[in-house]
Amino acid sequence: MQEKVEKFIVPIGPQHPALKEPGHFEFSVDGEEVTGATIRLGFVHRGIEKMTESRTWIQNLYMLERVCGICSHVHGIAYTLGVEKLAGVTVPPRAQAIRTIVLELERIQSHMLWLGVAAHEGGFDTLFMYSWRDRETVMDLFELISGNRVQHSVNLVGGVKYDITPEQKQKVLDGLNYLEGRIQYYEKIITTDDTFLGRTRNVGKMTKEEATLLGAVGPTARASGVERDVRVESPYASYPGHPVNIVLDEGGDLTSRFIVRIREMFESIRVIREILTNLPESELTVRVPRRIPAGEVISRVEAPRGELFYYIKSAGGENPYRIKIRTPSLCNWGTISSVAVGHKLADMPMLLVGIDPCFSCNDRLVTVRKETSSQTMYWEDLRKYGVEYYQ
Amino acid sequence: MSIGTMFGDIIKSLFKKPATEKYPFERKAEPERLRSKLHWEPEKCTGCMMCVKDCPANALELEVIDRAKKQFVMRYYIDRCTFCDQCVRSCRFDCLHLSNDEWELASLGAVPMTITYGREEDIQFLLDKKANPDNPGGHPECN
Repeated sequence: MQEKVEKFIVPIGPQHPALKEPGHFEFSVDGEEVTGATIRLGFVHRGIEKMTESRTWIQNLYMLERVCGICSHVHGIAYTLGVEKLAGVTVPPRAQAIRTIVLELERIQSHMLWLGVAAHEGGFDTLFMYSWRDRETVMDLFELISGNRVQHSVNLVGGVKYDITPEQKQKVLDGLNYLEGRIQYYEKIITTDDTFLGRTRNVGKMTKEEATLLGAVGPTARASGVERDVRVESPYASYPGHPVNIVLDEGGDLTSRFIVRIREMFESIRVIREILTNLPESELTVRVPRRIPAGEVISRVEAPRGELFYYIKSAGGENPYRIKIRTPSLCNWGTISSVAVGHKLADMPMLLVGIDPCFSCNDRLVTVRKETSSQTMYWEDLRKYGVEYYQ
Repeated sequence: MSIGTMFGDIIKSLFKKPATEKYPFERKAEPERLRSKLHWEPEKCTGCMMCVKDCPANALELEVIDRAKKQFVMRYYIDRCTFCDQCVRSCRFDCLHLSNDEWELASLGAVPMTITYGREEDIQFLLDKKANPDNPGGHPECN
């Protein structure tokens, strides 16, 4: 009798208990072992890129800050850096320093949040609770500097809104001292606790070659030993004067991703301290014209999750002609379907969380071109395609 | 071999107060730079409309009754406002500011979410005009 081979698929999502945002995953399994994984995204597509075309340069800043809920400032930075380059203005050094301080505080905040979520997925809720309690320290610092915890809105097109006073500087330094101690403690836990290491060691192992091939970015790539960091490759804001050291780990597994993110927080703390002690004196804003000269620009920055890419085109009017965003989460998804194969189904939530996915960021339109032919679609065609697709 | 690396932290926490605060019974002082409800001073306004133009959420409307006599009425939609501070920065005459203590703005209806700023007679004039669109009449000070 011929043996019949059946493929068993476990569907997860769009609403699922593993992560807080919608995504649909299909894991084909052989018993407990995953033999293939597909990912479907796009449940929270909001059409932000199209919306930017009907808003002014100033209004867009606030909408683009809302692309991501966790790293709002970095989107503002990518946008303002691009627009300022198009307008041909240079932001005063103090404004750049304040932008960089908030950028690095945001990185700490994002990594602390991720540490908690990842620990929660691994069933280590104690670490989740304590890391989120300590994250409040950074949130309080945001509140101190900008007044808001999440949507800081520190940026203006052409500078920053808020100065850092000497008293605030001292409070930021005190907060960082406390956090440094706590992060050292967390580093010790994730590298020594055997129960936790059992969930992370050799899970989702990705070699340097694989990471390069799959186009991984940010801490996910750096945990596989790929030297990729926009802050080092093409420094922006205050990074030219205060260089960042790349944090690398050769392991390529989940443990390495924990280690890389935790060590990046130490690096962020070092950079913030360095900038705060050498805070330049200058104006906070520079005048930017309301009509941005025609031209196009590419703006790259290092978000907590990896390289964030903005393409901005101006036709010389009060609104942008086109803004294209590519977020780091989108680049890292490819690694999941590749490294998931061969692991247990129970490891999947940890693996998904390992790349620190942000769904609202990555729901962008992607066209995968066939190797043989390319196709140009206009809005009318796209609309028709969309209507037909959902019929 | 090490298991239960966080036990020390847990035991220490048994003798500490919870990290959470019992809002609304306990209140922390508002942060100095907190951005909450917007206030407008009509005396300084010139009706340049920069705030309306730059508002990313279309939360502001400025009705100009008479620019020369500085008769303006501002309608502010709190439910649309994102408290981004852009209008305050765009205003060259320093007539807008965000307070830092009026942040409990939730409401059961849409009506309290629209605030009209301006002089009493100007607001009344606009309301009358809205009530009788055929007979606009005239503003008492314009006649």
